[in-house]
Amino acid sequence: MQEHSRAILNADPSLSRFDPLPRIIYHDDFNRGLRGWVELIGNYEDSLDSMLPQYADMRPPMLSSGTHWDTGTHGAMQGTYSMKLATRAKAGDISVSIKRVTWRHKGPVRLEAYFTFKPEASELQLSVDDVRAVGVLFDLQDEAYRWMPHWRYLNALEGEPVRSWQFKREREPFHDIGGRAETVSHFHLAPTGWENVPDSGQILCYNEVATKFNWYYLRMDVDLASRQITHLQCNDRVHDVTGVGPMMIPAMPNLDCMLNLAFWVETDVDKRAFLYVDSVLLSGEW
Amino acid sequence: MLRESYTAIVERSEELRGSFATEPYECGWAGEAIFFVRILERVGNIEGVTLDVQISPDGIRWCDEGTAITLGEEEVAFGKVAHFGNWLRLSGRLPDGASMRAIIALSLKA
Repeated sequence: MQEHSRAILNADPSLSRFDPLPRIIYHDDFNRGLRGWVELIGNYEDSLDSMLPQYADMRPPMLSSGTHWDTGTHGAMQGTYSMKLATRAKAGDISVSIKRVTWRHKGPVRLEAYFTFKPEASELQLSVDDVRAVGVLFDLQDEAYRWMPHWRYLNALEGEPVRSWQFKREREPFHDIGGRAETVSHFHLAPTGWENVPDSGQILCYNEVATKFNWYYLRMDVDLASRQITHLQCNDRVHDVTGVGPMMIPAMPNLDCMLNLAFWVETDVDKRAFLYVDSVLLSGEW
Repeated sequence: MLRESYTAIVERSEELRGSFATEPYECGWAGEAIFFVRILERVGNIEGVTLDVQISPDGIRWCDEGTAITLGEEEVAFGKVAHFGNWLRLSGRLPDGASMRAIIALSLKA
């Protein structure tokens, strides 16, 4: 980045903490609303009952002030509000929110975000293994492929701590939806097929009770031209992307130039899990 | 400044029976709210059933706010609240043998 461009970013406290590519596609500060983030829903035809059941209840995002029973309002990293995703209090439940745009240049794209995650503070216990995973995915399409980079932090699984990053390239089966042969659906967030990012163990600052938030930096770069994941980073750790790939699907109808981004959180126990996103910046190079 | 608004679908077509409550929804930024209950399917007699708007200090413990929505023959019923703190949910109990599927929308405005 040119020196004068960096100087302009540094002059704005809400941007100086990011390292965007030259064009900012969107910068979502949730002190200014939910800004196009919406609950993910599965495809359906004629009736909601035609939806794959895993997609029936992904829960709506909310604007959270991070308020707790013991200390009151924690606020966000910057300002009061963050985007909060909340699961139901049922092990394996997932909440997913998505923002949908399209791309105008097939080149590098960079996601950056500040986030944290916590279990519901319904018990006076450490609860560090209660959130199963948090993750982020791109859903992209060009003239030949729909491709879906998936990346998650597996915090714990069935009560055991894991604390490492995973990706998923294995495709889930497509199912016909409805009876007109117009719509299909696949549950790409299924628990199967996840692979470890090499040497990606990373302990995050959970802190010591469920009501204390520390915010983390996340960066994921993809190249729309080469269909590759080029950079994975959380805080100070840049992870090795060797062998890390996306799901690859032949291009599908009506998804041209799709550039969707989604966050999700999954609970490992019968307790709500919360993902808080302070801010998101999506940038591109053209 | 344009007034911020957001509609969250807090319940969508799940079968509701017996005692139930919608998931906690954080909305301290909003000054007014309407719960819309659009009934998609009803089994048994649910006319006259009341659903209570509830508020909470922490999203975990709940009390009735005082506003109630009475279900009738109409497809859509609603209840309006203001001055509700940081969380809202809707709680109710359907008679034995009765159930319904509904889309419950929480329409919020700053």
